[in-house]
Amino acid sequence: MNEFSRRGFLGLAGAAGVAGLAACAGTGTSPTTGGGGGSSNTIEFWSNHPGNSKPVEQEIIKAFEAANSGLKVKLVDAGKNYEEVAQKFNASLAGGSLPDVVVVSDVTWFNFALNKQLSPLDDLLSSAKIETSDYVDALYNDYNLDDKHYALPYSRSTPLFYYNKDLWKAAGLEDRGPKDWDEFLTWAPKLKAAAGSDKIVMELPDGSNYLDWVFQNMVWGYGGAYSKEWTPTFSDPNTVKAGTYLQNLAKDGYLKLSKDPAPDFTAGIVACSMMSTGSLGGVAKDAKFPVGTAFLPGDGNCPTGGAGVGIPATISDDRKKNALKFIEFLTNAQNTVTFTQATGYMPVRKSAVDLPEEKAFLEKNPNAKTAIEQLPKTRSQDNARVLLPGGGARIGKGLDQIVQGQDVATVFKGLDAESQQVFDSQIKSKLGA
Amino acid sequence: MSTPTIVGSLDDEQLPQTARRGRRRRASHHAEASTHHRGPLWTAAGYAGMVLVVLVIAVPLFWILLTSFKERGDIYVRPAQWWPDPVTGQNYRELTTRIPFFDYVRNSVIITSATSVAKIVLGVISAYALSLLRFPGRSVVFLVVIAALMVPNQITVISNYALVAQLGWRNTFQGIIIPLAGVAFGTFLMRNQFLSLPGEIIEAARLDGAGPMKLLWRVVMPMSWPTLVAFALITVVNEWNEYLWPFLMSDDESTAPLPVGLTFLQNNDGVTNWGPVMAGTVLAMLPILVLFLFLQRQMIKGLTAGAVKS
Repeated sequence: MNEFSRRGFLGLAGAAGVAGLAACAGTGTSPTTGGGGGSSNTIEFWSNHPGNSKPVEQEIIKAFEAANSGLKVKLVDAGKNYEEVAQKFNASLAGGSLPDVVVVSDVTWFNFALNKQLSPLDDLLSSAKIETSDYVDALYNDYNLDDKHYALPYSRSTPLFYYNKDLWKAAGLEDRGPKDWDEFLTWAPKLKAAAGSDKIVMELPDGSNYLDWVFQNMVWGYGGAYSKEWTPTFSDPNTVKAGTYLQNLAKDGYLKLSKDPAPDFTAGIVACSMMSTGSLGGVAKDAKFPVGTAFLPGDGNCPTGGAGVGIPATISDDRKKNALKFIEFLTNAQNTVTFTQATGYMPVRKSAVDLPEEKAFLEKNPNAKTAIEQLPKTRSQDNARVLLPGGGARIGKGLDQIVQGQDVATVFKGLDAESQQVFDSQIKSKLGA
Repeated sequence: MSTPTIVGSLDDEQLPQTARRGRRRRASHHAEASTHHRGPLWTAAGYAGMVLVVLVIAVPLFWILLTSFKERGDIYVRPAQWWPDPVTGQNYRELTTRIPFFDYVRNSVIITSATSVAKIVLGVISAYALSLLRFPGRSVVFLVVIAALMVPNQITVISNYALVAQLGWRNTFQGIIIPLAGVAFGTFLMRNQFLSLPGEIIEAARLDGAGPMKLLWRVVMPMSWPTLVAFALITVVNEWNEYLWPFLMSDDESTAPLPVGLTFLQNNDGVTNWGPVMAGTVLAMLPILVLFLFLQRQMIKGLTAGAVKS
C-alpha cells in the first residue's frame, strides 16, 4: 500500500494535469439547439417568488397543469431578489440550460431586451390570440422598446403614501394625505411640533435603496423629469426645484433617510413615508397604531415598479409557445387576484377589480383599495432611471449628495452629463438595430 | 534493594527541579505583578477595551438569539425590548414549516462534508508531492497552482456554469461539489507547513525504510496536525457558508444548501418578518460553533504537543 513507484506517480500526475486542463475548457458551445436540453413540454419558471409568494405560485402552477394536461411546470428558486435572478439568467445565457419563463424587474429587463436575449412577445401574443388591452396600460407599456414588448407585468408595485394616524390626529390634521408637496410643507411644522424631538416627520429610503424611485413623484409634481425619452433633463429648472425642495426638507429637520423606513415607521417614530405597496401587509400586521394610506401627492405622478415575466430569445418556438401559454395563465384576471391578495402587489388586469372576490377583499382592506385606486394614475418611469445601465444607483447617489447639502444645480448638472455619456456609449448604437 | 536507591536518585533529581520550578513561578509572579503595577488607569483601560470588544462581538449575536424568541410585534419597538416577553417558539415552528428547513440542512451537510473532505485530501497529498517528493517540473506545477490561487472564483463562475450545464449536472450534488473541490489555498498552506518540518526527521524516516505513504501518514502528518486542523476548520466554515455557486447551480430544495434556503424567508419587496430569519440564523450557526469549539481544543493540543519535553 505504501509502495508508490515513481513512474506510477508521474503517470498519475500527468492524468491529473490532463483532467485539470479539461476542467479549464472555456465557455463551451453556445446553446443553438433550443437552449440546452429543456424538454418542450416542461416549462421551467425561474422566479424569486416576489413577496414570499412561493406557495401561491405553486397553487397557480397546479391549476395550470390541471387545465393543460401534458404540460408540466417546474418552479425554480432563482434568487432572493430581482438582481440575483438576473445574475442566474445571465449565467445560463452563457452556458445553456435556459429557463422558459423568467422574472425580470423594471430595471433588469431592458438590458436583456437590448441585447436580444429576451423574445419580443408581440408576434407570439397575436398568433396565440391573446388580448393585451386588458393589462393595465402603464404596466404593460413599461416593457416597451422600439414598439415591441419584451415582458408581461407580473408582480407590480407602486409607492404609496403611508402615515401614522395617531400622530396625524395629534397634529390636528385631516385624515388624508397631502394634495401636493406645497401643502405638505405647511403640515410639516405642525407634525414636528406634535411628534416631539425624538420622532421624525418623514423618513424615506436612502439613495442606495430606491430613493430615486419614490423621488420621481416629487420631480413630476414640480413639472420636471429625470429624462424626456433618452434626453436627460436633470438641469431642467423644474427638476432642480424638486431637488431643492428635497434638500430643504432635510435642512429644516423634517426628513431623514435610512436603509429601510419600514421598521421605524412600524415602531411609530415616523409620521409618514413613501414606501412600496408590497410593504402594506407587513406594516399593517406589525404596527401598533392605525396605519393610514393615501395617493402620492399630486395627480398622475405615481411611478410604477416591480417585475414582469419574459421569455428567453434563443429557446425553440415550441417552448416559447408553451411559455406564453403559462404566462397568460399566470397573469390572467383570476390569478392576478389570487397572487396580489397574498402578496400586496397590484392586480395587472383591468378586469381584476370587477371579480367578486377582489371586491370583497377591498371592502375588508381599505388600504389595499387606496393602492388599486391609485393604479390608473400611475406613470411609466423615466428612461434615465430604469433603462440606462446603473441609472437607479447613479441618481440615488446624486440625491444622497443633495440631502447632505451639496449644491442641487451642480449635482444635477453632473447627472445630466453622466447619463448622456452612458447613453452615448452603451445604448445609442444598439437602438433600432 | 536496588529499587529504593533508584527512587532516591529520582527524588534527588526531582527536588531541585521542583525548587527551580517554584523559583520560576515566583519570578513569573513577580513579572505579572510588575505588569500590574503599570497603574490602575492602564488596567482599567485594558479592561474597558476588552469589554468593548466583547460587546461589539457579542451584542449582535445576543440580539439574533433574542429576536428569534420574540413575537413579531415585539421586534420593532421603541424602546428596544432586551428580553423577549412573552418568550415564543413560534419563529422556530414557522422556520421549519414555511421552508423545507431540514432538506436544506441535509444538503448543507452533504455538500460541506464532501467538498471539505475532497479539499483536505487534495490539499494534503498535492502539498506532500510538491514539497517532499522529487519529480521533474515540480516548481512549475507549484507555480501553476499558485496562479490558480490568484484567480477569484467569481471570474470562473460563468465558464464553470457552461461546462457543468453541458454535462447536465445542473441541480445535482456532483454539479455543486466537483467544481468547488479544487483547492489551491490548501496546497499552498500545507506545502509551506511540510517544508518547515526538520529535514533530519524526514531523512531519518527514509533511512528507516518508510515509503512515501508511510512517511506521509506516520511522520509528516502527525507533526502537521495543528496546521491541518486550522486548514480543515477554515475549509468547513467556508463551505458551510458558500453561497454564489450553490445558488447558481441549484433549482430547488433537492440540492440547495442552507444559506440559499434561508434567503427565502426574507421578503424581497416589502416587510420581512425577521423572527424566523433569526431563528434560521441561530440554527445554521450551531453546527459550526460546536465544530469550532471541538476543533479549537485539538488545535491548541496540536500547537503545544512537543513544545515541552516531558
